[in-house]
Amino acid sequence: MSSFIKESVDDVRQVSRGWRWGRRSLVPRSAEEFVPANRSTVFRTDWSREKPAMAVREVAHKVGLEPLFRSQVRTRVEGLDVLERVDGPVIFVANHASHLDTPLILFSLPDEWRRRTGVAAAADYFFDTWWRAIGSSLLFNTFPIDRRGGTMAATPGEVLADGWSLVIFPEGTRSTDGWMGKFRMGAAFLAKEHGVPVVPVAHRGTYAAMPRGQGWPSPGRRQVTIRFGEPLECGPDESVREFAPRIKDAVASLLDEDRSTWWEAKQRAASGSTPDPAGPDVAQWRRVWEQSESPEADAPARTLRAWRR
Amino acid sequence: MSRPGFVLEVDDRTPPLIVHEGLGFRLENFPLGTRVVYPPESLPAVPDVDETIREALLNPVDSDPLPTQLFAGMKLTIAFDDLSLPLPTMRPPDIRGRIIEHVLTMAAEAGVDDVELIAANALHRRMTAAELKHIVGERVFRSFYPQGKLYNFDAEDRDNLSHLGTTEKGEDIEISKRAAESDLLVYVNVNLVAMDGGHKSVGIGLASYKSLRHHHNAKTMVHSRSFMDHKHSAMHHSAWRMGRVIKDTVKVFQIETTLNNDIFPKPYEFLQKREWEWSVKDQASMLAVRRGLSVAPQKMRHKLFHDMRSVYGLTGVNAGEVEAVHERTLQKVHQQHCVEVQGQSDVLVMGIPYVGPYNVNSSLNPILATCMGLGYYFNSYRGQPVVRKGGAVILYHPLNEGFNQLHHPSYVDFYEEVLAESTDPAVVGEKYEQQFAQDPWYRHLYRTSHAYHGVHPFYMWYWSAHAMDHVDDVIWVGADRRVAARLGFRAASTLQDALEMASGTVGRSPSITYLHNPPHLLADVR
Repeated sequence: MSSFIKESVDDVRQVSRGWRWGRRSLVPRSAEEFVPANRSTVFRTDWSREKPAMAVREVAHKVGLEPLFRSQVRTRVEGLDVLERVDGPVIFVANHASHLDTPLILFSLPDEWRRRTGVAAAADYFFDTWWRAIGSSLLFNTFPIDRRGGTMAATPGEVLADGWSLVIFPEGTRSTDGWMGKFRMGAAFLAKEHGVPVVPVAHRGTYAAMPRGQGWPSPGRRQVTIRFGEPLECGPDESVREFAPRIKDAVASLLDEDRSTWWEAKQRAASGSTPDPAGPDVAQWRRVWEQSESPEADAPARTLRAWRR
Repeated sequence: MSRPGFVLEVDDRTPPLIVHEGLGFRLENFPLGTRVVYPPESLPAVPDVDETIREALLNPVDSDPLPTQLFAGMKLTIAFDDLSLPLPTMRPPDIRGRIIEHVLTMAAEAGVDDVELIAANALHRRMTAAELKHIVGERVFRSFYPQGKLYNFDAEDRDNLSHLGTTEKGEDIEISKRAAESDLLVYVNVNLVAMDGGHKSVGIGLASYKSLRHHHNAKTMVHSRSFMDHKHSAMHHSAWRMGRVIKDTVKVFQIETTLNNDIFPKPYEFLQKREWEWSVKDQASMLAVRRGLSVAPQKMRHKLFHDMRSVYGLTGVNAGEVEAVHERTLQKVHQQHCVEVQGQSDVLVMGIPYVGPYNVNSSLNPILATCMGLGYYFNSYRGQPVVRKGGAVILYHPLNEGFNQLHHPSYVDFYEEVLAESTDPAVVGEKYEQQFAQDPWYRHLYRTSHAYHGVHPFYMWYWSAHAMDHVDDVIWVGADRRVAARLGFRAASTLQDALEMASGTVGRSPSITYLHNPPHLLADVR
């Protein structure tokens, strides 16, 4: 009997390791080209914007997620005053380097904005299983978008039309080295289609705190910074192709501002010498090395006086 | 749309992989870089089986439609493959039964009275009434069996054999007299793998020892490279020579069927999925089955596996002239089984499942296990063997099932007496084959009981001759050491031990290929 129990435990352990229980399953590299394309299942997420779900989300945010988030990273938020100058809804467009980006943006927003903001999430990643779909919709008010196809799902438009703001990461995926990637045009298209302003958002330090492949933020309460920029509107004669680079430039300028000062960044933007957010053309390790350093905090971390003695 | 087969390279993302070992399976962690050959997914089945059969019979290849070949007063014989095909046994209704019903319906409409149905079991054991009924279906069984018109072929019934002559190489052709004297012989086969069918159906299935000995011998088998590729198989060349002589004497209407790879029914579906695609349910099923098997007594495990009935889908039916039909059949078989593999490796790993052609409703004794591994699985290649000359083969099977005294009596003596003296296929064949083939007691058991012919264990050993000639080391993982030693091989506890033992032959960092079989595959080695 004891050998049966031991063998059973061994078997379960082997399966739990081999099939990565609790983590996302992986496909062997040589088998990747043979993985069948996921059938595009439409997950309805309307329920997550109804009052009961909003109430649950509010409790989860205030009691669980936000305190947990703040216990793991230190945040510095700048530029929220821009929100006073717009009447929602808006599209928050940000660079994407980590799973921390979404909570960072949401928990940086004033409560009344946060409660009315949804997040566009990759259908093939966050909506591939029912439990992941329900979990992310409930906790972060996500809705699926198809990042592989050229067409956007109908949902973002519906969400905007209902008066909800959106968070969109136009890169479509998290950066592999912390630097900004190519922007797709979905956000610009939505902004033009629905006549809503785009609020550019730039953040730094999330890659250093929790890069791709890491399941939990690095210890030591790393510093992360986030900066909201002036709302951008698509002009009546401006095409989506013209508007999209303007959004990207605004995010790049905000990143520059976060590294230096508002005035210096403005000057560089005016002269067209804003540093390329895609990073320098140097060896990959140097790109990663630079991004793996957290932004400097304005003030040293507060430590309880009792511990200083 | 089914996905093609492919060769996986084990990396840090690869979960443990299923390896069959008799009445069970294990999860094996293969060394990084191991190549794993996965068969193509099941091809889609034809939408309407009856319509497909009718279409094949009415529009045969290089032959007149079947109804035009049937007439009142004729002598019609329908022969069909025995229970060695398909593997595992098909869930009823068996495709052979459905085809035979169509043929008989046409025969009845044409007013044919003299019809006999013969199971083409050659030197295999006689099937029981229940086994015959499973193949032909209740309607056919009820109409023919009680009258003695549905029966097993008897290769030792001298009065009912007919010598049709010899080939240009002097090979005797002796087949069932009833088949030879019929106005039309309809053969219904199941072409599960590439070695089946063609002239092998009549020329071997309905032949006697006098005929079979010409190609079922060590010398021919060593030169059958492989016997899954009839154009490069000395055994098939011989069968083809015989078939062409038969064709001149007997009018044969060949009906060949091809099946897809839907082998494992619920709840064993996980066994034919690619492991990294297992759902939580698949993982739970695997754990439940594995833990259940670990506490189940041998009898129960045997029942669990042997009661499994596969839910094959029919992928095609071709009828007409033997060779033309077989070419079409092979295209479908290759489409279902072929996987391109680049180059040979130092070590070939294979897991031996619970069933082979000769232990349906019986036990997989050590000789049959060897035949499955070094015979059928080793030869599942086209071009060149998956393992290099002088390489090593690692097989998984406990070799502990013993011998079924009813079905395999001559195997016991072969194991105890012949293998004790020599394990060289050529030597044992030369010295003992005649003795076993002519032993009156084995003949009696073959004819009246349900025993394989006395010479059958020799044939099993010959099937493995090519592999034994090709590789330098054969190691069984998890096997009974004494049994492995009797077979002339070695046993290891784990894959790591086996690789350690093989290092003397293939070095310390050999290239390894694992054939993820079953479901069936055919490695097209370039």
